[in-house]
Amino acid sequence: MPLVRKPTGQSPQPPADASSVLGNLVSERTDDRWAAARAAADLPDATTALAAALRNETDARVREAMFTSLARIATRESADALIEFLRSDNANLRAGALDALRIMIGGMRELVPQLLSDRDVDIRILSCELARDLPGPEATTLLCTLLADEQDGNVCAAAIDVLAEVGGPAALPFLAECAQRFRDSPFLGFAIKTATDRINSQHTASRA
Amino acid sequence: MDPQKTILVVDDASLVRLYYRTALEGAGFHVVEAMNGLEALEKLLILPVHLLVVDINMPHMDGLTFLEAVRRKNRELASIPALVTSTESAAADFAAARAAGANYYLVKPIDQAKLVQFAGMLCGVPR
Amino acid sequence: MVFGEAKRYYVERRVLERMSATGSGTFASYFTRLRTDAQGEIEQFVNAFTVNETYFYREDHQLKCLTTDLLTERIRQKRKGDAVRIWCAPCSTGEEPYSVAMWLLENWPLVDEYEIEIIGSDIDTAVLEIARAGIYGKRALMRLAPHLIEKYFAPLGAENWQIVDDLRTSVQFSAANIVELAQTRPYGQFDVIFCRNVLIYFDDASRRVAAENLFENLLPGGFICLGHTESMSRISPLFEVRRFADAIVYQRPAAGST
Repeated sequence: MPLVRKPTGQSPQPPADASSVLGNLVSERTDDRWAAARAAADLPDATTALAAALRNETDARVREAMFTSLARIATRESADALIEFLRSDNANLRAGALDALRIMIGGMRELVPQLLSDRDVDIRILSCELARDLPGPEATTLLCTLLADEQDGNVCAAAIDVLAEVGGPAALPFLAECAQRFRDSPFLGFAIKTATDRINSQHTASRA
Repeated sequence: MDPQKTILVVDDASLVRLYYRTALEGAGFHVVEAMNGLEALEKLLILPVHLLVVDINMPHMDGLTFLEAVRRKNRELASIPALVTSTESAAADFAAARAAGANYYLVKPIDQAKLVQFAGMLCGVPR
Repeated sequence: MVFGEAKRYYVERRVLERMSATGSGTFASYFTRLRTDAQGEIEQFVNAFTVNETYFYREDHQLKCLTTDLLTERIRQKRKGDAVRIWCAPCSTGEEPYSVAMWLLENWPLVDEYEIEIIGSDIDTAVLEIARAGIYGKRALMRLAPHLIEKYFAPLGAENWQIVDDLRTSVQFSAANIVELAQTRPYGQFDVIFCRNVLIYFDDASRRVAAENLFENLLPGGFICLGHTESMSRISPLFEVRRFADAIVYQRPAAGST
């Protein structure tokens, strides 16, 4: 019988000590950096070191592990570090930061309205995604508040895409007003009509 | 039967994908969708694609990282024309897209007629 | 299967998933695909509704891929007598790891040339006990040809069959929560991991951590198979996607590649 059964090495791992973890975040060996990036999730004070290492990290997988750890640390400080990466010129870092924020935003919902009113258009666009995972009524309120004053068509487009999925009937007047304001934009007209139709059909179905 | 021209639309916004699909199908193209670069790489393994329409900001794998990955693949995949879309319009953004392997760049929101026009230019007009 | 009105959302979701997975823009086009059983859509459709069911040789196209393609690649760097390690996590009541074992014995010509280690792990210790006992009813065996049942099972009473001792004692079962690095790391690295139909039940954060854990449990160049309707594209960019004749699987890059 070529199938063999061996005892698995179930010995518990010794906990990594903080200073060696932080040191290994910038090791020359990718495997060391990977292990350190993962271990840093258990060290709330590692945020600054993680962010610094991320800025220079060339391996995409190590970057992913670093972003995961920042999300798992889940402090205001780690959230701020991720928000800084949202402002990066590098699309890869922006995507990594947004993915990480998405998984931690549930515990830090007060950040969403703040980000939705950021001065930077790009931050507002990306932050609409964070509203997608909030409960429907909350997401609707936040995105409608944004829509009411938003001048940038692409930000509105991002908000409308989320509202089309999770928005409730309360969004309808805001969508209608937005359609008026952007009546010269064929895409926004299309998006608003589609979102309106979807909200109406869901609302009707639930009453049936 | 004529093989259809297939366009892979890669964008995380479902309304954007629907908008492009409506225009491109209306012009006779076959459209396949992916919501991020990873899903797009999977779709490329499954069916022949004649044009990529790729947004930049997407979860899990952004458009430029995706394009760089495609350009490293075998010759057939690496030479698929790519139209990159983005909300950004600075010269540095065009340059980054070119460096990643884009053939053309359109700034969002994109006009349907223009999309169809450039699709035809980049991969041929469907019958 | 019968679904009452209360399950409308459940049914709608699954239909939409299949429509999306098949690129069907309209229900009409999907329905045609279903009616004509294009590319085995009926089985896909049924699978989408019966994700929780487990039985021997479920999704056997992945088993076929294992012997046809995955192991062929894995042994390129191995010598005769080297280990081939396969992990089923989660393993539930054991049908999957025993299926892997049986399939290898029946279908892999090189099965005697390597030391094959098959481990089944699950967070639920009760199902592990059932797996170790190796006793199954008719439903679990429904896809097995009679000669396989004859060869690998002994009847136990009128309704049950038990895996023969030789096979039963060669598969190891032990507890592990794939979201906990401290529990997964000790298992070392595998050539192939089967992680089917469990990630869909996790929240996004847990899914991501589990993907990172399982990445560590793969040898460079090792493969991970998810459930047929699952994809790493919504979970993690760590893996490369590979398409083989019988399945799409994910791979940890070989050492030294980007």
